[in-house]
Amino acid sequence: MTPKAQVMGQNEEKVIDTTRQAVPFNTGNIPGPKMARAVMPAVPGKMLAKAKRPLLIVGSEIDDPDVLARVVMLGKTGIQIASVGDSYKYLGDKGLDAHYMNMHALMSYICDPQWPGLDGKGGYDLVVFFGITYYYASQAISALKNFSKIKVISIDKYYHPNADMSFGNLKKDVFIEALDEVIEQLPK
Amino acid sequence: MTLKKGSFVIEELENVQINIGKIGAKEEQIAEGPTPRPEIIGLRNWDYRILDRYNPVYTPTGDTCDYCTYGKCDLTGNKEGACGIDLEGQSARQALMTSIMGAACHSAHGRHLLNYLIKKYGEDFKIDVGPSNLQAPLTETIMGIQPKTIGDFIPVLEYVEEQLTQLIAITNTGQEGSSRDFESKALHAGMLDLLGMEVADIIQISCLGFPKSDEKAPMAEIGMGILDPKKPVVICVGHNIAAPAYILDNMDKNGLFDKIEIAGLCCTAHDMTRYNKTAKIIGSMSKELKYIRSGIPDVLVTDEQCVRADILKEAQKLHIPVIATNEKITYGLPDRSNDSVDEIIDDLVSQKQSGAVLLDFEKIGELVPKLAMKMGAIRKAKGLTALPNDNEFKKLVAKCTKCLQCTKDCPQGLPISDAMTAAVNGDFSLFETLHDKCVGCGRCDYSCPAGIPILNVIEKASQRVIREEKGKMRIGRGQIGDPEIREEGRNLVLGTTPGVLAFVGCGNYPDGTKDVYDIVEEMIQRSYIIISSGCAAMDIGMFKDKEGKTLYERYPGRFVKGNLLNTGSCVSNAHIAATTIKVASIFAGRKTKGNWEEIADYVMNRVGAVGIAWGAYSQKAFAIGTGCNRLGIPVVVGPHGTKYRRAFIGKPYKKDDWNVLDGRDGSVVNVEPAPEHLMITAETKDEVMPLLAKLCFRPSDNSLGRAIKLTHYIELSEKYLKKLPDDWHIYVRNEADLPVAKREPLMKLLEEKGWKIDWEKKKIIEGPLRKVDVSFQPTNVPRLCKEVKK
Repeated sequence: MTPKAQVMGQNEEKVIDTTRQAVPFNTGNIPGPKMARAVMPAVPGKMLAKAKRPLLIVGSEIDDPDVLARVVMLGKTGIQIASVGDSYKYLGDKGLDAHYMNMHALMSYICDPQWPGLDGKGGYDLVVFFGITYYYASQAISALKNFSKIKVISIDKYYHPNADMSFGNLKKDVFIEALDEVIEQLPK
Repeated sequence: MTLKKGSFVIEELENVQINIGKIGAKEEQIAEGPTPRPEIIGLRNWDYRILDRYNPVYTPTGDTCDYCTYGKCDLTGNKEGACGIDLEGQSARQALMTSIMGAACHSAHGRHLLNYLIKKYGEDFKIDVGPSNLQAPLTETIMGIQPKTIGDFIPVLEYVEEQLTQLIAITNTGQEGSSRDFESKALHAGMLDLLGMEVADIIQISCLGFPKSDEKAPMAEIGMGILDPKKPVVICVGHNIAAPAYILDNMDKNGLFDKIEIAGLCCTAHDMTRYNKTAKIIGSMSKELKYIRSGIPDVLVTDEQCVRADILKEAQKLHIPVIATNEKITYGLPDRSNDSVDEIIDDLVSQKQSGAVLLDFEKIGELVPKLAMKMGAIRKAKGLTALPNDNEFKKLVAKCTKCLQCTKDCPQGLPISDAMTAAVNGDFSLFETLHDKCVGCGRCDYSCPAGIPILNVIEKASQRVIREEKGKMRIGRGQIGDPEIREEGRNLVLGTTPGVLAFVGCGNYPDGTKDVYDIVEEMIQRSYIIISSGCAAMDIGMFKDKEGKTLYERYPGRFVKGNLLNTGSCVSNAHIAATTIKVASIFAGRKTKGNWEEIADYVMNRVGAVGIAWGAYSQKAFAIGTGCNRLGIPVVVGPHGTKYRRAFIGKPYKKDDWNVLDGRDGSVVNVEPAPEHLMITAETKDEVMPLLAKLCFRPSDNSLGRAIKLTHYIELSEKYLKKLPDDWHIYVRNEADLPVAKREPLMKLLEEKGWKIDWEKKKIIEGPLRKVDVSFQPTNVPRLCKEVKK
């Protein structure tokens, strides 16, 4: 049973497909020949579980209680969080390994192999993000796409063409379920 | 006999023409620094110093290049294209092109005004910008001359134009290949932009009677609700005052101000109110389409810049004639400059023609009020508007299928369908909220598969708030006067005034115009000096406190802490940048003429000034920002600013990047990252406020100043991000740098970080990066050190 199902007190899991509607959420946001592969939640979930030093980036759009609850669940698994925009105000009291960062600066630093990371323990091998103003995230991660070797996965509600992998454009209930399925893959 | 500049012939001496150029101007043209009229690579060493510390960060909007017929080339992953350029180089080339576009726009505006004003007033017309000896700081610093008359600006614009041509040449395929040098050239274009703007605004201030460093300039009315729609309405759109000035003169002469309403959209509005305080302001470019579709304008007068490309199409639908008064925007309209006013009016009233190009200012002045009187009567009788009536509105909102295509096409991703649903149930509040957040682009209209004219629906539903949209803005004052700099310069350099925040740029805000008001209110209450210009200056005046007062009515307009200044239109941005030059010159006695590097070095290390273009959309805004960067001024843009594709971001973890020299002996001093970035974005207003406070730190701050700045940085972070900043301690050099009210708890935190504290004496014994040295003279330029140590 997924965390969502636990939260909702349900016993049955819905089958969701996060690869539908895999077109840039902003109609004109077509960067070029390489666009994100649409994936089911198990893929980022397994990659997160396997990563040695993943980084979760979340932004100002995690204020929705359902979304915030998933950020906290992900953080509780031990994933370090870069809290961009003003999102730290939602996370500061949750006992997570969350650090405020400016998104634009963060993109610059991740591209730099000499960056010691948010905690001084070195760089990251996987970036996963959601809950950031759509166009801001999409634009910012184009730096990682083109000027770094790091894998970038969007587990956002929107299809992000500049990521390596992304969900399609999702309705809220599917999005929440997808996040739950990602969380399901992570070691407790 | 007085000799004037110009040419004349002597009778009886056939084929002899005598040309007299700059009389007695030589003594004013002695450059004091090494780089008068810098060529393209003349300041490259300075640019490299900037780029070494503030690394260009590229966020491409597209991964391909299609500039030449080799392409399209796929540059994804920084691959090279057929010509050899990689994505980094291509992104830097785009930064250069964007800067060039902006610089060309302002400089061509300046050229248009200069030609016109010289023709009208003569080359010898004296410059007068108010109580200043340093009247043209950017011109002095870049050109190495001190202009006295408007004719003295001829070689200045010739220089700008020549340099811009060289820079444009560089963008051709097969030219520059180094991203670093593209950026140096982009910085050059940015600097040229500042120069072009300065020329444009100084000459119009001097010739057209604009306020001259007037801290008590009168207030102008602003907002979509200020005009009486029952009267004929003239709306001037753009940035160039030349034509609207003639309309205002004609109305003044004929006593028409109580018969006709005249107002401006975008920066023309600023300059109309600077020219004649009776004029009014509708607002920024975001209001353009909304106001036209309201049907209220009876005549639209366009000049240049920030005029929507579809203005004629939109106007035609509502039988609003368009008078295009500038060669740059002609819309395929016939040139009627040589026709009689009455003929033109007849053709426009009868709809034989939907508009006219009219380049004769006298005719424009005569025609527009007459045309407005005729069109007003006709249009108001017909009740022309694009907005639906109540019944149509009900039907339209009911047609929404919640497909969300409008949200996908909206630059802000606004939740339009939610507002449609609420409106079906008679609740217009969501639409009223959208009205402020909507940038008025109209992309949603094209996207709706049900054919709902969405922008019109938003505006119809928001009529209540639009009627109440009445604000006040202090008319653009022009430059900051020398006496004000003398009074305030010391506080700025020592840090006891926490900083100068320049709110500039356009209306492409991430979450509505209210953000700008909120940010300004917070920062001005903290005693920052707030300078504004352009559309940001307008939007600041759009909101009122509980007592019904706007920020301009609450805070005076002098260049001292806790004041709110409006310099004027877009080209007046030059004065904001130039204020830092004035501080270097007047307060610190630095030589200005031909001395860009030294001045910029001073500004970067000592003047806590930051630009914020929260809604920047245009190439012009990017050029202004890039010019400020070359002058050592950090700039923050809103989240849409990532689409400019390039930022300059510092890396605090690279200690060596923050080495500066002590000008006294050339010794190397590792300083705190101040300012940490030169161009960066923020996602929300809550994030940007502490960032602004942080970017005001300078290595030269004295302890009192540093404590004040640190207080605001910490308080703003705690208030808006709910946390103590991670890096606050980096800016502490001794216990006196700590905010007085929090000194002890902060010292405890420093102790936890491993710093040694003498609790008896309440002193920091060990820990800081460096000590406070009140005589420290930070510089990044080795030649400025008295003795360079190896």
